[in-house]
Amino acid sequence: MDILIGSLVAGILIGMILALVALGLTIIFGVMDIVNFAHGEFLMIGMYTGLLTAKATGMDPLFTLPVSALVGFLLGVVCYYAFIRFLMRGPMVAQLLGTFGLMLFLRNLALLIFGSEDRALHHGVLVGKSFEMGMGVIIPATKMAAAVLSVVAFLAIWLLMNRTKIGKALTATALNAQGARYMGIPTEKMNALAWGIGGASVTVAGALLVNFWSVNPFVGILFTMIAFAIVALGGFGSVPGAFFAGLVVGMITEIPGIWDFLSYTLNWDWMMDVPMTSFKYTGVYLAYFIIMVLRPRGLFGWKN
Amino acid sequence: MTLLDVQHLTKNFGGLSANQDISFALQRGELVGLIGPNGAGKTTLFNCISGLHAISSGKVVFDGEDITALKAHETARRGLARTFQIYSASGDLNVEENVMVGCFMRTRSTAKAKARAREILLELNLSDLGNALVSELPVSAQKRVTMATALGSGPKLLLLDEVAAGLNPNEIEEIMINIRHIHDDLGVTVMLIEHVMELVMNVSDRVMVLDYGRKIADGDPKRVAKDANVIKAYLGERFVREHGEVLT
Amino acid sequence: MEKLRSAFDFSDFPPLDLSIAGIVGVFLLVFPIFPHSAFAMATMIQFLMFSLYGMGWNTIGGYGGQVDLGKAQYVGIGAYTTAVLLIRWDIPFWFSMPLGVCFAVIWSFIIGYPLFRLKGHYFAIATIATSLVLMDLFGVWEFVGASRGLEISPIKYHPPDFWRLIFKEDIYYYYVILGFFFLGILYVNGFRKSCLGFQLRSIKDNEDVARSLGINVHWAKIKTYAIATAFVSMVGSFHACYIKNIEPEDTMSLDISILIALMAMLGGAGSLWGPIIGAAVLIPLKSYLKEWLGAAAGLAGIDLIIYAVIIMLISALEPRGIWGIVEKVRRRRQR
Repeated sequence: MDILIGSLVAGILIGMILALVALGLTIIFGVMDIVNFAHGEFLMIGMYTGLLTAKATGMDPLFTLPVSALVGFLLGVVCYYAFIRFLMRGPMVAQLLGTFGLMLFLRNLALLIFGSEDRALHHGVLVGKSFEMGMGVIIPATKMAAAVLSVVAFLAIWLLMNRTKIGKALTATALNAQGARYMGIPTEKMNALAWGIGGASVTVAGALLVNFWSVNPFVGILFTMIAFAIVALGGFGSVPGAFFAGLVVGMITEIPGIWDFLSYTLNWDWMMDVPMTSFKYTGVYLAYFIIMVLRPRGLFGWKN
Repeated sequence: MTLLDVQHLTKNFGGLSANQDISFALQRGELVGLIGPNGAGKTTLFNCISGLHAISSGKVVFDGEDITALKAHETARRGLARTFQIYSASGDLNVEENVMVGCFMRTRSTAKAKARAREILLELNLSDLGNALVSELPVSAQKRVTMATALGSGPKLLLLDEVAAGLNPNEIEEIMINIRHIHDDLGVTVMLIEHVMELVMNVSDRVMVLDYGRKIADGDPKRVAKDANVIKAYLGERFVREHGEVLT
Repeated sequence: MEKLRSAFDFSDFPPLDLSIAGIVGVFLLVFPIFPHSAFAMATMIQFLMFSLYGMGWNTIGGYGGQVDLGKAQYVGIGAYTTAVLLIRWDIPFWFSMPLGVCFAVIWSFIIGYPLFRLKGHYFAIATIATSLVLMDLFGVWEFVGASRGLEISPIKYHPPDFWRLIFKEDIYYYYVILGFFFLGILYVNGFRKSCLGFQLRSIKDNEDVARSLGINVHWAKIKTYAIATAFVSMVGSFHACYIKNIEPEDTMSLDISILIALMAMLGGAGSLWGPIIGAAVLIPLKSYLKEWLGAAAGLAGIDLIIYAVIIMLISALEPRGIWGIVEKVRRRRQR
C-alpha cells in the first residue's frame, strides 16, 4: 500500500515540476505557433545555472532562482532576436529543423564548456533531508520544496498573463496577432517577451529540478519530449491545461511504481517480469500519440 | 433530367445557421447563377454539396445517387467538380501539371493525363501558358486555370465560385466565353456563384438568390432582378422603403 | 511498362543538370579504382546510404510536405530483421531485406492510419513519439538483444559472401549500395511523374483543392509514407550487414531521424537531386569535422557545434535548401 501512495505522491510532485517545464513551451506556442525543439536545452541551461550559482555563492540552490530566471529570460529573448525571428519567415520544415539545430548547438556548447559527466548538488539546506508522510511514505525534502516552488512560479506566471496589462497584450497576440497589431500591440516585442517568459519559466524549473536530478549536457531531449506530451494533453496554448496535464504526465511516469504495487497485490508473477522502469517515459510518448489522435485539442486547448 | 436535387439542406456551424432549409433542382444542361450578398452562405452551399462540409440535415441527390454522406473526393469522382475562390498556390506545379492532377481521376497513366490536360488547355485558350507557374500568372489567367483544372475529370456538373472576381471588363468577357464554351460545347451543367451581375445575368438560364442562409428567389434572371426581396437583400429594407415601390 | 519507361526518362531536366549528373554518376562508378583512404571509402558509403534515406524521406516529406521525424524506427526494423534472421537462422540478406521491408511497411500502415489525421508540428512530434516508443521497446526486448544490441561476426561466415552480404573489403559494400542508389534515383524519378506523385504535390499545395479533384488525401499520404518506409528499411538492412553491430540507441535514435530529414531539407526537399546534394554536403562535413576536431580531447562537441550552426543558417536563410537557391537563380536569369 505504501508503494502505491508513494508512487502517487511522487507522481504528483514530479508532475508539478514537469508542469512548470512545459509552461514555457505552451506560452511560446500559444503566442507564436512555433514548436521549440531546444526547450529541453533551455532546461539544461537552467539546471547548470542553478548548480553553478549555488556553488559559486555558497547559497542554497533554492535561493538562486532569480538568477536562473534572469538567465532564462535573456536566453529566450536573445534566441528570438538573433535567430527565431528569421525562422518564422520560412516553411514549417525549416522551423522544426531550425530549432533542432539550436538544440544541437546548445547541447554541444554545454558539452564543450562543462564536459559530459553528471553533476549534482551535494550541499544545501534541504539536501539529504526528507519528510515522513506517514504510512511509510518518505519524500525527499528537495523534491517537496521544488514542487511547492513550481506551483508558486506557475501561479505567478498565471497572474502575469491574466491580471497584468502586459500579460493581456501577450494573450491578445496569441489569439490574433494581426488584430493585436491593429490595436497597437507590437507583435515583435510580444514574441520576444513570450520567448523571454517561456525561457525564464523553464530555466527556473531546471534550477528546481537540479536539486534532486543530476545534470549533464544530454538531459534535454527527454524533457523536451515530456514537455511536448504535456502541452499536447493540456492543449497547446493553455496555461491551466499545462498544469493539470503536468500532473497527469507525472503520474504516468510513476506507472512502474503502480505496476509494482498491482503485481504484488494481485500476485501475478508475469507482471513482475515486465521491466516497467525502462518504460517510464515510453508511457508518456504513447500518451502523446493517443491523445493527438483522439482529441487533438487536448483538455483545454483552443488552438488547433 | 434532374442532375442535382438538393432537399432541405441545412448547415449549422455551432449556433450560426449558414444554410437554412435550401431546396432546389438542377436540370442537366442548365446554367444557373447563384447570387446574394456577402456572407449569405453561397460558398458554404457549394462546400456542402461537394462534400467538404458535412450537412447538418437534408439530402443531396446527384445523378440519381444519394451523395449526402459522401466526402469531397468521392463526389468529385462521380462527376461533380468545383473551383475555389482563394487559390493559394505554393508555386510547385505549373499550369499543365495542375490540370493533369484533375485528369488523373480518369486515368492512371501520366502520358494520357498529359494529353488530356493539353486538350483542355486548348479548349480554354490557355495552351501557351502551359509551363508557367500558376502563382506568377495574372489573376484572370489564374481563374481560368482553376476552371481548366476542374474540367480535368470530365465532370457532369461544374460549380464555379466567383471566377470573375477582380477582373476588368475585357477579362470578364474572356471568362464569359470560356464559361459559355464549357456549357454549350462541352455539355457541362454549370452553377456559378457571382457578384459580377453582368456576367450572371447574361449567361444564366436561371438565377437563385441566397440571403442570410435562406433561398429567397429562384427564376428567370430578369424577373429576379426586379424581385422585391432580392432588392431588399442587397440594398436594405430602409433604402427600398425610402425610394418607392419596386415591381414584384 | 509505361511506368518503367517513365523512370528512365529524365528529359524534363535541363541538359546542364543531366550532364553534371552524368559526370557525378561516372565518378561514383569509378571512385574505388583510384587510390583512396579507408576513411574516404567509408564516407562515400555513408553518403550513398544517407542519399537513399533522404530520397525515401523526400517522397513523403518533400513532395508530400509532411515533415516526418520518426524514420529511424524503420532503419531499426530493417536492420534488426536482417540481423536476427542471419544470426539465428542463417537467412541471407536477399531474403531478409525484402522481409524487413514487409514488416516495416506493415508497421507503417498500422501507425500511418491514425498518424495522418494530424498535420504540421503535431504530426511531426507524433512521428518522433512513435519512433522513440519503438526504440524503447527494442531496448528491452531480449529477442533482439535488448540494449546490448546484436553483433554479426564475420569470422563465422566466409567472406566474400554475396548471399549474406558479408565482405571483408568495403569495395564490395560500396558497389552494392551504389546499385541501390541508382535504382533509388530511377524509382523517385518515376514516382514524381506518376499519378501518386502528382496527387501528393497537389495535396501539398492545397488539401481542399486536392480533395475536390478526386484525391483521397488520407490514403495518398499513407501510401507515400509506406514508400518512404520501404526505402529506409532497405538501407537499414544493408546497414546491419555493413556495420555488423546494431543497438537501439545507435540505429533508432532521434538524431538519426533528424539527420535523414536534414539531408533532404538541406539539399532541397521536393526535388530529385535535393537529398543527394544534401547528403553530399552533410555527410563528408560530419565525417571530416569529427576526424579533425572531435577526436582531439577537450574539443569534443565542436564538430557538432559547427554542424548545428550550418543547420541553423540554412533553416533561417534559405529554407528551400541548396536546390531552392539554384532554382531561384535560374528563374531570375530566365526573366
